[in-house]
Amino acid sequence: MTKRGKALAGFALAAVLLNLVPTLVEATDSPGFYITFMFTAFFWISQAVSWNILTGYSGYFSFGQGAWFGIGVYTTGILAVKHEWPFLLALPVAGILAGVAGLVLGMVVFRLRKLGGEIFALTTLAVAFVLASVARLYSFIDGGRGIFMTSTPLPEFLGDFRTAMFRMTFVVAFLTLLAAYLIFESRIGWGLFAIRDDEQVAHGLGVPVFRYKMLALGTNAFFSGLMGGVWALQIGFVTVDDVFNIRVPLFVILMSVLGGMKHWMGPAVGAVIIYTLTDRLNSAGLEDVNQIIIGGLLIVLVLAVREGIYLRLRARWKLALATFLAALSVWTLADLGSSVIWDFAYASLLTVGVTLIPTRARRRTEVRSEGPPVAVDEEASTDRGPG
Amino acid sequence: MSLLSGTDIVKHFGGIKALDGVDVTVGEGEILGLVGPNGSGKSTLINVLSGFYRADRGRADFGGSDVLRLGPHQIAAAGLARTFQIPRPFRTMTARENVALSYMFGRSRHSLDSARSAAGEWLEFTDLEDVADLPINQLTLHQLKFLELARALATEPRLLLLDEVLAGLNPTEVEESIRMIRRVHARGVTLVIVEHLVRVVTALSTQMTVLDQGRVIAHGDPDRVMQEPNVIKAYLGARWDHA
Repeated sequence: MTKRGKALAGFALAAVLLNLVPTLVEATDSPGFYITFMFTAFFWISQAVSWNILTGYSGYFSFGQGAWFGIGVYTTGILAVKHEWPFLLALPVAGILAGVAGLVLGMVVFRLRKLGGEIFALTTLAVAFVLASVARLYSFIDGGRGIFMTSTPLPEFLGDFRTAMFRMTFVVAFLTLLAAYLIFESRIGWGLFAIRDDEQVAHGLGVPVFRYKMLALGTNAFFSGLMGGVWALQIGFVTVDDVFNIRVPLFVILMSVLGGMKHWMGPAVGAVIIYTLTDRLNSAGLEDVNQIIIGGLLIVLVLAVREGIYLRLRARWKLALATFLAALSVWTLADLGSSVIWDFAYASLLTVGVTLIPTRARRRTEVRSEGPPVAVDEEASTDRGPG
Repeated sequence: MSLLSGTDIVKHFGGIKALDGVDVTVGEGEILGLVGPNGSGKSTLINVLSGFYRADRGRADFGGSDVLRLGPHQIAAAGLARTFQIPRPFRTMTARENVALSYMFGRSRHSLDSARSAAGEWLEFTDLEDVADLPINQLTLHQLKFLELARALATEPRLLLLDEVLAGLNPTEVEESIRMIRRVHARGVTLVIVEHLVRVVTALSTQMTVLDQGRVIAHGDPDRVMQEPNVIKAYLGARWDHA
């Protein structure tokens, strides 16, 4: 089986298994917030992974995630509530409108040759501010009154609200990851990495840089908007301040940096870790110190593993998997945590910790395997020391 | 038969005329030496022809289209490639991946899978096989310059513009590079070489164009061109006018 075939089979398997979760939770009479926990994780996975398609792959740093997300939220808000469209009909429009907005921005900023990366970042930030003002000003969008989503009818086959949220966020997160993977493992992905390394040279070697950057930005905005469209339901009462703030762009950056921006999976791993942590800290009543802890952790981890946690976990996947399963079963069996989510949080933290500990020894072996053979011998002999 | 024929190419930078109506012709199978004192417009000409700078005036016909109106990737697709004086590899990729990338894009599209194996051919040709899978920062300047060449060749060009491939190399490496340039030419690639070492260009090229202050001051047979009074004057200054 080819590499891509295996990966796609993995995707299919994950899809089938995860789809069983709501049924399983119900059958075992587990608390419903397990499902909420999972679909919120799906939300962040989708946001972080889609952001990374633009910023991680092409190197164009974007603060625009809040804008695409916000367009999605308001699109389903307006269409499904104010115009009473069926929700599932409004949802794709959310993604498409966000995608189109991304492309319009791209038309402007990517056409101006002289525009550097910093200007791009600031422009994307400005888009969210502009959209916030527009939404506040015009009553056909918001007009400062907000939109109540709570009584939006959902099709019955999706199940109750929680299950419906799970299914929808799951599909969007799944599609986002699939797109991230397919781009990563294609000519387009390589072209984007070349743009990240040296755009001018890439262009000269035949990479259609404008088209590829537009594609990355459009994909980013589309999936972010699509997830935003679903998320409007979870927000319940949609207001400008809740939607167009710095929270989403900031968190996707943290998640992606932590997980690793050089691989399509990195941001997903970062998203799960950071979301789990914030969720647990909140549930332990530590909302106030939440940011401090997350910030501190990020500093430590970024300094310790520059390539991001995901690549580190993958390099030591046997150790990581063993630690995770062991920790999870110990915690579960000994009934240490008060819920499965706590068990999961402890086990994840421990796994990350364990894979990080022998950093120094690892780095030395890395150098050895890369360096010329002579250097290896020299180093090995000095390692043995005198005698 | 001319492969590239540029007429009246003008490029300003503010008030400075870097190229002031340059005519340049490269015949199929030639090695055109492009020389001139510092600031004469050699590098600007390379940058204009490869689409990195947009010319203010003029045209340059290559393979049925005017490359001055095309973007860099379209120029690469037309079969015109270049190297950089200071090597600019993709730093997060290995040498093999660098070459594979340019094979994938370049003159014709190739799939990701075919590119990985095809890259080997160019790495072998440029003697980079041993370092092909090392991180880029472990390559020497000489190897990086050959990587520039391998990457340009992997785009399968008909015309290759070499911007100072010999600069910064020691005499042994210069000899190796000259042999490499000859081997590239022997594969049927037409070359334009920009070089400071006039002796080397004179020995390598079949035709020579001399630029001075953005204008062509001489063109023709390498040995004869370098004897022309205005070329001597441009290189050595007016004092040698009647030498």
